Amino acid sequence: MTAMKKIVSEIQDFHIFLRILIVLVTAGLIAAIARFTFGLGATTNLSDVYPWGLWVSFDVVTAVPLAAGAFVLGAIVHCFHIKKLEPLVRPAIVTGFLGYSLVCLGLLLDLGQPHRGWHIFAYPNLHSPMFEVALCVMSYTTVALLEFLAPVFEKFGFHLPLRFLRTLELPLIVLGAAIATLHQSTIGTFFLIAVDKLHNLWYNPILPLLFWISAVFTGMCIIIIEAVMVHRYLDQPDETELLATLARIIPWFLGIYLVLKVYALFFLSERPLFDRPGLTALFTIEMVAGIIIPLIMFLHKRIRKDSTMQLRAAGLVVMFGLVLNRFNVSMFGMIQKNQQIYYPSAIETIVTIGIIAAHILFFAVVARYFPIFEHHPEDVDYAIPDGFRRVKKPLTIGKPS
Amino acid sequence: MSVKRNFSNDRTFLIDTTRCTGCRSCQVACKQWNQMKAEETTFFQGEGYQNPAHLSENTLTAVKFIDGWRYGRNEFAFYKEMCMHCNEPACVSVCPVSAFIKTPEGPVIYDAKRCIGCRFCMIACPFGIPKYQWSKGLPLVVKCSGCFSRVKEGLIPACAKACPTAITYGSRQEMINEANRRITAHPGKYMSRIYGLEEAGGTSVLYLSSVPFNELGFKKVTQRPLPSLTWAALRFVPTAFITMGGSLAFISWLTNRKERLRREKEMGEDQKASGKEDGQ
Repeated sequence: MTAMKKIVSEIQDFHIFLRILIVLVTAGLIAAIARFTFGLGATTNLSDVYPWGLWVSFDVVTAVPLAAGAFVLGAIVHCFHIKKLEPLVRPAIVTGFLGYSLVCLGLLLDLGQPHRGWHIFAYPNLHSPMFEVALCVMSYTTVALLEFLAPVFEKFGFHLPLRFLRTLELPLIVLGAAIATLHQSTIGTFFLIAVDKLHNLWYNPILPLLFWISAVFTGMCIIIIEAVMVHRYLDQPDETELLATLARIIPWFLGIYLVLKVYALFFLSERPLFDRPGLTALFTIEMVAGIIIPLIMFLHKRIRKDSTMQLRAAGLVVMFGLVLNRFNVSMFGMIQKNQQIYYPSAIETIVTIGIIAAHILFFAVVARYFPIFEHHPEDVDYAIPDGFRRVKKPLTIGKPS
Repeated sequence: MSVKRNFSNDRTFLIDTTRCTGCRSCQVACKQWNQMKAEETTFFQGEGYQNPAHLSENTLTAVKFIDGWRYGRNEFAFYKEMCMHCNEPACVSVCPVSAFIKTPEGPVIYDAKRCIGCRFCMIACPFGIPKYQWSKGLPLVVKCSGCFSRVKEGLIPACAKACPTAITYGSRQEMINEANRRITAHPGKYMSRIYGLEEAGGTSVLYLSSVPFNELGFKKVTQRPLPSLTWAALRFVPTAFITMGGSLAFISWLTNRKERLRREKEMGEDQKASGKEDGQ
């Protein structure tokens, strides 16, 4: 009873925004229960014409690159030793872990036979992109969980597992980046089989490569958005300087993406390209607002160093360069001429909103109770320790609870 | 993919749409043999007299009716829509739990006990054949099995057995020869093309027609076997994993070493400095 009271009083202490999120998450949960009670056909607008809808397009195809920040930043900081970005790593890892956990949840909701998920191991099919992504997402979620456990152990002062995790830290980062490369690109491979269905504007043999590159720059943009938001709303220090360093890397990837995309469009794609005005418009918005404008913005030093402009440029990339791109590939570009139009049902929408709300809510809650921001490189020795006993500098431990 | 199998002895349907009378006994036979539920239908839901309007969880094959004024005459044509039993099926390649199998006899069959219900087969199939049990709480995929249970026992599929005129059933090579024979014997009657010969890398259902195939509602499909499209990217997975993991591990080792050397040097200098202080 007292524990319950404590939780209630904690929640009453939350910002009104967080309490609204709790309501949205609850609504999402109820909608998810409805989906399992009444079945996919009754609760969604999916049909034989649209076997994949909002849940695949957003909860899987879009959410996976949105959670890419963890592997990108992990590699930048720990492998390339750009250590001043270290304060951004932990929030990114928390985002990544939450993101992937919610992807798994979304996948389970979308499966017709979720209780048979283990069949992936029992009857593997090495030729299936879906098999590869399922394995990668599961192993990456495990890796992200191990990375996420560090602040948890710090909070509770578990020293031995913490040292063990620190020994594993670099291997985990490398493993995580390698796994993420595979599934970020293989989600693009999904749509290579949809030849004659996916429109030529998006169908090309290097789609997996484009998916990987866009995941990389999106990961960095998400980190920028997250850091700016956290500074504004969770009273954390201003990281604009650090973000400017990160913002210098982004235009490289945007530029490579643009070049490859144009190359693929003119040399690797079938014709006709611009026969459908609606799709041409979507494609133009995606490329201009999501890639070209932010590329120009990130090329200006003045814009890179300005917190608001950073946020705007990163927001454009995420909203149009990524989210619109993934929807174009997995939904809009697959619509054939004269085909009925799919729109998500109320339950599909409520579940997806619930998942987004859950992500923000859990992040804020984790940030409230675990040391994910109070972690700075000067406190921790990041060289690989030679043994468990020889950690030279003291570890940062959260306030004893 | 693996070594290419010779498909010329696969059991194959040759469906001559010019001989089809639109009697729909194939539809009835299919429902009976597979014990599929009846659908409540009305005329003119689809095009013309087609009924039901499209394939569904309860209908594995249906005759499409195309009628209208064409080429200065009233054209009445039929197209029996069913699983094409591709030589290299997209559904087999994309299924994460190997629920689809291309049998050595030819039919592509589906193992409902394995299926997790991800619907990737429905996205992948170029002919739009796999359908989903949208009415069920724990839905599965349904699809024509080419009457594998009958073929295994030496019988011919239910629809081919029931068809009074249009369906010939036999080995793929024989069916191709027969189709070519009919095309050469009646050049004015047939389009000089066999649908299914090259489509999606070749299928075990071949069609002949007197009107252009697209007018009959046949989909325009690539001639490449579809699994090769994803495999072209998927085969790089081990390489990508090793390259990415290896290069990042190598870079980390390099940067770490540099860092350690720098620190050791610093420490050495510190010690020297402190040693001097002690000496003085």
